Amino acid sequence: MTTNFKWRSNPNIVARLVDGNDIQTWKSKQVVLKPNEACAFIIDGRIGDIVSEKVVSNIGGGLGRHIADMIGATATDRRMLFAMTGPLDLWIPFAANLSDGSEASGHMNLRIQMRKEDIPKLLNIFANRAPLLDRDGLIGVLGHEVITRCIVPAMAKCSGIEELRSAEFQELLEMHAEVEMRQTLSTLGFTFLRAFISTSKTDQEKVARLKADLDFATKTEGANADALMERIVFREAATLRRIECEVNVERAKKHGEVTIQAESELLELRKQEAVWEAELNRDQGQSDLRMKESSHKTTQAMDLFEQVQARKRDRIQQSQEHQDQRMDKQNDVQVKMMEMAANQGALTPEVMQEFLRQQTAQKAIDGTDSQAPTPPPVAAVCQQCQAAMMPEWKACPHCGSTR
Amino acid sequence: MAPYQFRMVNMVGTPLDVLPYVRGIQMVLSGYEGYTKGRRRDADLAIREELKRCGTRVRNHLLNVHDSAFREKKIDISKSAKACCNTIDLLIEDIDKSPTGMNHAFFSGQRSASVSVLKKLIKHDHDVIEMMTKAVNISNSVEHAFSSDKTDDEVKSLIRQCEQMITSSRGYYGARTTVLDGLRQKKKV
Repeated sequence: MTTNFKWRSNPNIVARLVDGNDIQTWKSKQVVLKPNEACAFIIDGRIGDIVSEKVVSNIGGGLGRHIADMIGATATDRRMLFAMTGPLDLWIPFAANLSDGSEASGHMNLRIQMRKEDIPKLLNIFANRAPLLDRDGLIGVLGHEVITRCIVPAMAKCSGIEELRSAEFQELLEMHAEVEMRQTLSTLGFTFLRAFISTSKTDQEKVARLKADLDFATKTEGANADALMERIVFREAATLRRIECEVNVERAKKHGEVTIQAESELLELRKQEAVWEAELNRDQGQSDLRMKESSHKTTQAMDLFEQVQARKRDRIQQSQEHQDQRMDKQNDVQVKMMEMAANQGALTPEVMQEFLRQQTAQKAIDGTDSQAPTPPPVAAVCQQCQAAMMPEWKACPHCGSTR
Repeated sequence: MAPYQFRMVNMVGTPLDVLPYVRGIQMVLSGYEGYTKGRRRDADLAIREELKRCGTRVRNHLLNVHDSAFREKKIDISKSAKACCNTIDLLIEDIDKSPTGMNHAFFSGQRSASVSVLKKLIKHDHDVIEMMTKAVNISNSVEHAFSSDKTDDEVKSLIRQCEQMITSSRGYYGARTTVLDGLRQKKKV
């Protein structure tokens, strides 16, 4: 019946030196060594086996070992040195000045590993320390030397914060740490793997960070203001557009109503127009009819007038012809009379004068005969006011009454 | 038998066809007898320890070169040596945390390494040790070249050869897991 012995109760524990005689239990103890754990046995002051990946049974305790101790059949001094063989990171705080005088602080990461065959070298540590080594204890052992040998000289060569952040500086620091710390680490049983520093913000970087923060805040505020203004512009445009749409809708409604009203009025007007047109046509027809009738009467009157004129012209013609004939006859008679007078020798100047006088008188008579004498107008009397009025007057100029 | 002890099922002695490889390993690892019954896990640990020891030897040579080059302000050589050391650290970590094979319960469904697998493993171990031995020789040449009148480019070339050999060894050692799993390798690297 055995129980497991746990040498490591905290992840920070790196190594532990266990005295086998301190394990005083009724049940014997065994320990399971994982691949990243190793144990070196130190029996009676001599370094024994170094084991790993193994179950080490009966490392202490138990009735059999107790009896063997009592009879002196076992080793006098039995110690077991347990250690972690995996890589472990040590964060060593530091504060150093750069070449320009500015201070840089932070942590240096030192990644070291303990090989299985180097575990007995841990005795160099446990010779001056408690039998439990954790990361803090290891940092206490190595920290001062790392700062003194590696960080401070490397920082002193660093010209500025830009160089401090460069990859070349990290490489140089790593090589520098390996060269300088190799002896110490080898003495303590550790193998150096990697190293780098992680610096905190310097004062200059804090100022730059503050400036960057302020710039960022300003830009953020500006961006917010721009976004807000842009949003307001969009809202304004949307509101205006909405109002415009509403106006358009109202306008369209009004326009529709007006159109409908106008159409109805137009329809009424069309009806009225049609009525008026019909009336106009009717009146025009009537007018045409009247015009036709009037024209017809006029034509008839003109025809009658023409007939009268024609008769008159015929009559005048006939009268003229008759007169001409009579004149011709008279002339012939007068010629004959003149010839007879001439033949008789009676044609004297008195005869000729008398002849001309008679001839002139005859012409005057013929002329008056050709023009018919017009009767003088007879004055009429108004039946209303008894005033005198011309016969052709249609109304009385005194009282206005029509005839 | 301890729970984590490596176990072979049928291989009692060393087969004749892998005997030359066993002899070759015995040249650098005395006491090695192959994965014979009762000493199989010890043989596995011995092989891995030998590989780690070879890696450490290479690393120590290169660290000497690294320190000297850094002190002489030959940063390029120092960087190359550091890069090679990092590769060696990775190799050692791979060896340290590699599987060993283990006992399985009868009804577990898993199977232990067969004889043919172990024969492949012996040959594989021999080849890895051979590569690592070459890497040790190259690293020795690096340190010798750096201390002699060789040019920096020649030293860097040797360092890169050593790094290439370490990388090949690391890759080849990585196939050990596949061999232990009994899977067929499509192509040997």
